[in-house]
Amino acid sequence: MRIYIAKRLLLIVPTLLGAATLVFLIMRVIPGDVALLIIGGDAGHVDPRQLAAMRERLGLDQPLLVQFGTWLWGVLRFDFGTSLWTGQPVVEELLIRLPLSLELAVLATLVSVVIAIPLGMLAAVRQDTWVDYVIRVVSIGGLAIPGFWVGILCILGLVIFFGWGPPLEFTPPWVDPWANLSQLIWPVLTVGYRYSAVTTRMTRSTLLEVMREDYIRTAWAKGLAERAIVIRHALKNSMLPVITLIGTEFAFLIGGLVVTETVFTLNGVGRFVVDAVAHRDYPVVQALIFLIAFSFVIVNLLVDLTYAWFDPRIRYR
Amino acid sequence: MTAGIRRYRTVITAVALAVLVGSLVVTPSAAPAAETPRRGGVLLAVIGADAPSLDPHQESTFATLQMVAPLYNLLIQIDPYNYPKVIGDLATEWKISPDGLTYTFKIRQGVKFHDGSPLTAADIKASYDKLVFPPQGTRSIRKIAYSAVTSIDAPDPATVVFKLKFPSASLLDNLASPWNVIYPKKYLDKDPNYFMKNAVGTGPFKFKNYTRGATFEGERNPDYHVKDRPYLNGYKFFISPETSVRAAAVRSGRAYIEFRDLPNSEVGAIKKQLGDKIVVQQTPMVGQFGIGMNNTVKPFTDVRVRKAMTLGFDRYTAGKVLYPLTGLRDVGPLIRPGTEWALPQAELEKLPGFWRDAEKSRVEARRLLAEAGYPNGFKVVMKNRNVKLPYQDLAVFVIQEWRKIGVEVENRPLETATWFNDLREGNFEMMINPTVEFMDDPDQFLNRYTKGAPQNYTRISDPAVDDLFARQARALDPVERKKLAHAFQKRVLENAYYMPGLWWTRNVVHWAKVKNYVAPPSHYTNQKLQDVWLSED
Repeated sequence: MRIYIAKRLLLIVPTLLGAATLVFLIMRVIPGDVALLIIGGDAGHVDPRQLAAMRERLGLDQPLLVQFGTWLWGVLRFDFGTSLWTGQPVVEELLIRLPLSLELAVLATLVSVVIAIPLGMLAAVRQDTWVDYVIRVVSIGGLAIPGFWVGILCILGLVIFFGWGPPLEFTPPWVDPWANLSQLIWPVLTVGYRYSAVTTRMTRSTLLEVMREDYIRTAWAKGLAERAIVIRHALKNSMLPVITLIGTEFAFLIGGLVVTETVFTLNGVGRFVVDAVAHRDYPVVQALIFLIAFSFVIVNLLVDLTYAWFDPRIRYR
Repeated sequence: MTAGIRRYRTVITAVALAVLVGSLVVTPSAAPAAETPRRGGVLLAVIGADAPSLDPHQESTFATLQMVAPLYNLLIQIDPYNYPKVIGDLATEWKISPDGLTYTFKIRQGVKFHDGSPLTAADIKASYDKLVFPPQGTRSIRKIAYSAVTSIDAPDPATVVFKLKFPSASLLDNLASPWNVIYPKKYLDKDPNYFMKNAVGTGPFKFKNYTRGATFEGERNPDYHVKDRPYLNGYKFFISPETSVRAAAVRSGRAYIEFRDLPNSEVGAIKKQLGDKIVVQQTPMVGQFGIGMNNTVKPFTDVRVRKAMTLGFDRYTAGKVLYPLTGLRDVGPLIRPGTEWALPQAELEKLPGFWRDAEKSRVEARRLLAEAGYPNGFKVVMKNRNVKLPYQDLAVFVIQEWRKIGVEVENRPLETATWFNDLREGNFEMMINPTVEFMDDPDQFLNRYTKGAPQNYTRISDPAVDDLFARQARALDPVERKKLAHAFQKRVLENAYYMPGLWWTRNVVHWAKVKNYVAPPSHYTNQKLQDVWLSED
């Protein structure tokens, strides 16, 4: 197991190198001159000196290999340059937004797991009863109802019935846990509900599949209690696809919640990505794509390690 | 008990009851004293967009101006309590020469910038040089308003002189533009784009913090040159593009005011819930939402197609449908209807797009399209800003209108900065393109239809239009000027160079504890917050 972990950690390096290369190439291979796109120009007129200055600022006047080397060296030092929009280092801008997005992703994932796995289990063991139907209707609701609508309803409900609205500004939990909770609980529940719907259904179907296996049949025949069969034998073996799903969703949550962030006035990575694209903030867009790729790589590693813990048959060498 | 004691007790009881009843009678209160401004507190506001940059000279969005206006002063300003009167700000007095070619301003003494440096006439000159003669690499959106100016001088630290090559009827109004904030010369000398990302002014508030996409904060300037001002300790804008979220923020008290507009439906709900804790100031707005067609791009190079499009837009129904949602209501020409310079309604209704009979208009529209070679209509993309109120709502209405004449229009929402870029670069076929100014002034509203004007996004090029503009700008006789302004509007509308839509009314909603704020007709003016105070935190 240790050898496996070591191998996977080493493998991160070429994976991230590949991601960095891809990000670099994408931003340079797309048609059009990025510098021209950024500075635009009044009535189509472009000042050649301004254009040259922008190209120099972006490093586009250098040979491609030099640009790649500079980009990689920056990635290694977590230096992604300066935002063209804000004028601040990209890393600083990210650090303002990342804590919120990470906290939202972690809490939403926790909520979705806490809701989904028990509900999925219950739906599976009570298949085709009213319990199963209710859970399935609730989970279909989570899939079908747009998250932003749930979010807006949530805010409106609080305002109309309690005359209270969530804070509009993020307070880190270590500064004021109550203010942090009172802001984030609502988007966490909104996002958590949406994601629990997917996980509930996945848990239900994988558990149903596993419950039909011969070894489960043997366990029933041996007279084991239902609880022992489901939790000790069936659940663990049904978790592998669920873990993959949870991992993928979590990685997506880091930068994919632009609508939720808009509804709840959260200054997270999702909105920042969209704003950066709209402002043609090239260094920020590059950094964020790399960050999202990085999240997926790390989450995949954690998912694979979790596999090994859940399923001892997996022997990695 | 003796009868005497019983009688005594009865009398005492009666007296006590009388005193009790008397104390419950409402005594006429003294006349309420005028409210004394309370010092302290931070004004919390919500705003619907982020600023493309912090330099009002180079931007034309409320998102920039509302956030930075409290940090600056102007040379002269619109009276916050008496629109459209012009009063001094940094200027204490001014004289206009009899020939109208020289404007001399005396500058207030003892004013300091937030970095401690003193304000002099040189700073005003430098700021106006940037506006009127923008250096390469900067934009001055409204420079055409100052086309009459040949030079700006600062003969001494307390005097600024504007010299003109021809008289300009609107110059004083244009100098009162809320966009013309005064910057320190020393920063402009180093980098004319310095203020796109920085803010150093003389205003009642100093820049504190700006987190893009989240908040913008200013804090009290203790060295402000107006005694005992500002009352507030600071102000803070929360940036939230979603209208319902902003309304909820005001409703819950997380924000005390929304300076631009909230739709009637939200306002009704807020008022119902909060009653007299909330104040709604409704005002007609110096702005309209219309549609620009790129006159250099087919099929809009053909006047018949442009006329068909404006004929296909039933503005009168639009006013009824869109008013509850958006506040867009009044049908009018290129200048606000009912004001001095607007083309009179009787004349307007003779022009294409303004006939009362919508069906007759559509028949004519289809005929014109067929004549122009589009008997089955055509498809086109209309770019739009992704601000719902009222951009998206207007788009939904006009798209279904044009469908009735066979034209399929695709609405394409863009983020504010991208939308502005595409407007400036002419990178569009059609665009929802409002004309919003700070004053009902012909120069301000009409210059954008002249060739080469920075806001001539639709690339209109008509020498007759340019000539009419130039003549009305120089006409000091109001009667003559009115005739020319009317002729100008007729020319533009007859040729459908641009499609005005509906003029806006707006609802400024704020908690009653926000005192001394009067919502002007323009959401660009009265944003300095110098005299605003909070009766409670």
